[in-house]
Amino acid sequence: MNLRSHRNFIVLALLPALLIYALFVFVPVIWSAYYGFFNWSGIGEAKFIGIKNYIEIMQDPVFWRSLKNNFIFVLAAVFGQVPIALVLAVLLHKSNMLQRFLRSAIFLPMVLSTVVIGMIWQYIYHPQIGILNFLLESLGLESWKLQWLSDNKIAIYSLLPPLIWSFVGLYLIIFISALQNIPGEVHDAAKIDGASGLRKLVSISIPMIWGTIQVAIILCISGSLKSFDLVYIMTKGGPAHATELLATYMYNSTFTSYRYGFGSAISTTIVVISLLLIGTSQWLTSRRGKK
Amino acid sequence: MSSAMLGIRKGRSSIFWALLIAYGIVTIYPFFWLIISAFKTNEDFYNRPFGLPMNWQWENFTRAWESAKLGTAFMNSLIVSLGSLVVTLFIAALASFVLARFEFRRKGMIMAFFVVGMLIPIHSTLVPLFILLKQIKLLNTYWALILPYTAFALPTAIFVLSAYLMSIPKDIEEASFIDGTGVWGLFLKVILPMSLPALATVTILSFLHSWNDFSFALVFISKTSLKTLPLGIANFADGYQTDYGLTLAGMTISVIPTVIMYLIFQEQVMKGMTAGAVKG
Repeated sequence: MNLRSHRNFIVLALLPALLIYALFVFVPVIWSAYYGFFNWSGIGEAKFIGIKNYIEIMQDPVFWRSLKNNFIFVLAAVFGQVPIALVLAVLLHKSNMLQRFLRSAIFLPMVLSTVVIGMIWQYIYHPQIGILNFLLESLGLESWKLQWLSDNKIAIYSLLPPLIWSFVGLYLIIFISALQNIPGEVHDAAKIDGASGLRKLVSISIPMIWGTIQVAIILCISGSLKSFDLVYIMTKGGPAHATELLATYMYNSTFTSYRYGFGSAISTTIVVISLLLIGTSQWLTSRRGKK
Repeated sequence: MSSAMLGIRKGRSSIFWALLIAYGIVTIYPFFWLIISAFKTNEDFYNRPFGLPMNWQWENFTRAWESAKLGTAFMNSLIVSLGSLVVTLFIAALASFVLARFEFRRKGMIMAFFVVGMLIPIHSTLVPLFILLKQIKLLNTYWALILPYTAFALPTAIFVLSAYLMSIPKDIEEASFIDGTGVWGLFLKVILPMSLPALATVTILSFLHSWNDFSFALVFISKTSLKTLPLGIANFADGYQTDYGLTLAGMTISVIPTVIMYLIFQEQVMKGMTAGAVKG
């Protein structure tokens, strides 16, 4: 439709969405970059200190610990969730009763609140009343019993099963719908050529849904960098920062130590890191796709 | 193919299925455990963690509802979730209608502006949003959640809706203009009803998101009377740590609405998640 006769309508219709979005998503991101240059406790005068906050972040071992933990999350998501979901999708993309049931079961955690997921797993891992240690004990594996969430060497890895558990369903559904979009002739042709099973998966299905896999990887990266609730509920970043993530580090610096400027600087760092990671993954996966 | 090979293949596929079913059980078990444990007494909970409840303690639910003030939390969650849902649906539909059906300058730029939002980590906005909401005196009001939930739901909503609207044939506008309907009429009477499937998807996605959100509620709401369910449950668990049946009953109550919604609209939820896949 042409512009002149509907100009007012176009402006009016776009305005509410643009305003709310800009004010509550875009402006805060810019603002946090700006606040990052100040020393501010939330009350009173903010003092301009240049890039001191950013320098402090770079020299803070807790930041590097958080970054490393975030990378562990990203790796677990990309190399845990994606392959598991891919294999499951190949096995479950048809629609008999059992397959439908399994799909629904695997997807279910997606509709639960992360708070509930975190609390369920806290109970599973509980050193005294937890079902995991109880199970190990009844299997005669006493020596395998651990302080899953309070031992600072293993706590971060204990967080990975709930992370994977809660998101595999999303990727499963994405991959299933991609697989269902592969035209039937492709499968017929593969059958005639004698390709089947694993061979078909590697040389036909995966290349055909490579675009979707790329999207899934981006989702994994941005999703893992967004992780906060699960860790906040289960460990609050402890013990001794062993499970600190960038987001909990930011939260603790801002709302526990009341350092708004410093917290804002961390926020900005998170945005930069996630854009960098997503950019890199795009570059890597599109090169792999072209081969 | 020889019969031996067929045998191997059959054997392999039954191992596959056994593994799959095992995986299915492992994924569903934590959820199952939550529900049965919600009916237990503390003794039962300690002594038989895998068993069914000895006596089904229905009163765990009524006690949790009362002592955790879940009624209030439930209402608060409902108000902010429905509030942001209504706002999101209306303004996202309007914007998507314009972006999908009209030609104008800077259209691509505006679309890209919205799509970038899907990649912005929510938590990086917590501090500045907190300061902003404090300055405009919205902290500790329903708006402190409704507006940010809406803002963060918009990119996905616009993405899903405009993709859907673009697939509707172009003659629709012509026909309704010949009938003498204006743009508003076209939007309200033709476009909205036609985009019901996409609107349903957006409804489910943004409802799930705001109903389950924890971090915004944690930071923007400190008044007890305004706390939403996830926040209420988390606080309750901190306070009543040793009454397990009670805490688990509270958790169960909080997941009932989304689980029921999921069971009823399963297909739509799954389609919606796929459509909104580029969100994050």
